Amino acid sequence: MPATDQQLSQLLAHPSVWRGRSRAATETLPTGFAALDAGLPGGGWPRHGLIEILTPQPGVGELYLLLPVLAALSQASPARWCTWISPPHEPFAPALEAHGVALSRMLVVRTPTPLWAHEQALRSGACEMALAWLPRASPRAVRRLQLAAEQGRALGVLYRSQRYASEASPAMLRVLLDPIASGEHGARVSLLKSRGGSREPIVLKWSAAAA
Amino acid sequence: MHPRAYRLVFPEPGQRRTPSVLRVRSAAPPPSGPGPSDQAALALEPRELWIAAHVPQLPLLALRAGSKGGGSAPLVVVDPEDHHQHIIDADENALAAGVCIGMTLGAALAAAPRIEPRPRDAARELVLMQRLAGLAATFTPQVSIDSPDALLLEIKSSLALFGGLRALCRQLRDACRADPVLAQIHAEPRFTLAPTALAALVAARAGARCFITDVNVLPARLKPLPLSTLRWPEQQNARLAAMGVRTLGELMRLPRAGFAKRFGVTMLADLDRLLGRRADPRRRLVPRERYRGRRDFDHEITDHERILQALSPLLDELEQFLRERQRGITALLCRFHHYRAEPTRCVLRLAAPEANAQRLRSLLRERLATLALPEPVRRCDLRSGALMEHALTSKPLWSPGERGHAPAGEMPALIEHLRARLGAAAVYGLARVAEHRPESAWRVAEPALEAAAARVTATTAGGETARRPLWLLHAPQLLESQRGRPRHHGALELLAGPERIESGWWDGADIQRDYYVASDVSGARLWIYRECTRQKCWFLHGLFG
Repeated sequence: MPATDQQLSQLLAHPSVWRGRSRAATETLPTGFAALDAGLPGGGWPRHGLIEILTPQPGVGELYLLLPVLAALSQASPARWCTWISPPHEPFAPALEAHGVALSRMLVVRTPTPLWAHEQALRSGACEMALAWLPRASPRAVRRLQLAAEQGRALGVLYRSQRYASEASPAMLRVLLDPIASGEHGARVSLLKSRGGSREPIVLKWSAAAA
Repeated sequence: MHPRAYRLVFPEPGQRRTPSVLRVRSAAPPPSGPGPSDQAALALEPRELWIAAHVPQLPLLALRAGSKGGGSAPLVVVDPEDHHQHIIDADENALAAGVCIGMTLGAALAAAPRIEPRPRDAARELVLMQRLAGLAATFTPQVSIDSPDALLLEIKSSLALFGGLRALCRQLRDACRADPVLAQIHAEPRFTLAPTALAALVAARAGARCFITDVNVLPARLKPLPLSTLRWPEQQNARLAAMGVRTLGELMRLPRAGFAKRFGVTMLADLDRLLGRRADPRRRLVPRERYRGRRDFDHEITDHERILQALSPLLDELEQFLRERQRGITALLCRFHHYRAEPTRCVLRLAAPEANAQRLRSLLRERLATLALPEPVRRCDLRSGALMEHALTSKPLWSPGERGHAPAGEMPALIEHLRARLGAAAVYGLARVAEHRPESAWRVAEPALEAAAARVTATTAGGETARRPLWLLHAPQLLESQRGRPRHHGALELLAGPERIESGWWDGADIQRDYYVASDVSGARLWIYRECTRQKCWFLHGLFG
């Protein structure tokens, strides 16, 4: 009997097995925000996989949320690329550089077919991160992206509208971002879907990241 | 030295070599030790080894390659520039009917009235020989075409690389057999090996087996070959024949001085080259610097996938062409010809030199997917851009991103892939410009492929640039205002500012603006400005995303 228990625990320790009450053992990247690190499963963004960030509108801090990771990944010594696929506005180079992002590792793609480009970027293995702004994506398409990200060992970030919060999604992590209406510049982050993350909204101050 | 020694002439095997005035280079290298015997010097390795490849019946093969399914009449080939219309080649039926190579057309028609004379296709013959030369160029850089129907390769320096003489010969023969174009027309080159170029050539043309590496046995082995293999002028051959000289052996027996007097020094020099007594430099074939391929489709094609399929042989040919030269291309031009409409051009540009047909095919597939063809395609031309140095790299053990492994070639591949479908302008990098005007402070840059050590020092948070938004709108957006206060989905609250930016009077894009950081009702931060001109309009220019 103890032997079977041991076998069972060995089986359950496998990284692809996830149980509701345990936190998934995945490779993670520190987010740059101490409060968020504490709330996310594994203590940071997943190293590869697909995450979804849902916002009510562009410009509510969706980039500030990822800036520390962008800066860290683009400055790594054999740096892979960070690809921006059909961003809603122009990424402003001086501001990115001021936050420590290496511009030479950034690639912007303007395309009427962002889903295709996002999948290519994730699958190629050339990108560390691929950010995409999609008007809409079916759960099946998101699943494809998730698989592509795992294959290319990249972190895929999908920016979508808050409207899709109620839809099911195969992404590893779903984050809802709400700006704080008054006071300091920041946002409230709620984890809509995570493997063992915090259930309470996490309040982040962007000035904390810049420091 | 006795003056008589200068008179000779052609040494027979077994005889001691006698120095000759016309000899330019000695067969044996200068002696290094004390008292080297002649025997030791003779046993030394030859300096050069030549392989000759002769394609028998090349004019006939070239004609057959040009015409599909010829008639059944016996075929003879004549040179259109030849005044006497000598027959230079004839097929089996014509030969069986009594036609001989070298007879005039009139005589041949008299012998066999049913024969069908055709002019030779010199251009196509050259194309076939160049194809053969391309194959040979993978074995040695010293390849020359001895027009019209033979190829010469100097292989001495390539022996070590290809694992010895026999291995090299076998690989060369196999490469020629495996070539689809040569196999299609049943061209079977005959190979011979000899220490001099001319000897190899003569033996190949005579159809003799010749695998000689020792220059000293050359005269004995060449003796029985007919005189005509030297391809001297017909008139001189006739004179020699009248003297009873019909083989090379008989020719070698003639006295040297007398021969030079009667036939001229150039023919004597030929003979010296044949036996390795005189240097025989050959002009090296310089490979073409661009690839050109053309394919006529059997029927008109509209489907992209089938166009690609039809282009596949050309792409394989291109890969072979590039591999022989160890080069890659960064541009490929396809031209699709239609029945009436102007040809459609399609240019494929690559971020890094590429020589892999598989990669080119997948890029072309993306490119073709967006190409609009006005009419079905009848023919396609493929032209490469300039050839670039193409360093072959080994594949890494780790997949990229694994164990901190640096990316190896995935980035150019991704960029090419995206650009092939979306166009070159849709994929770009970012660069900073030292400028105060926000719209000029950045520019589109070509993605930097080499992984430069990009070190960025984050400026302090209180610096000027930290007050810049992460998003910049493509064009400033006019905001409505109410009693001088800007509104954007509700009233805006100004948090910081004004920061005046006034610049650009020198290039016409003059701006005078007061920038503010504002917060809208939902809490999003905006970067807005007010024109300092008379209108005092408010504009939204950026978002603190």
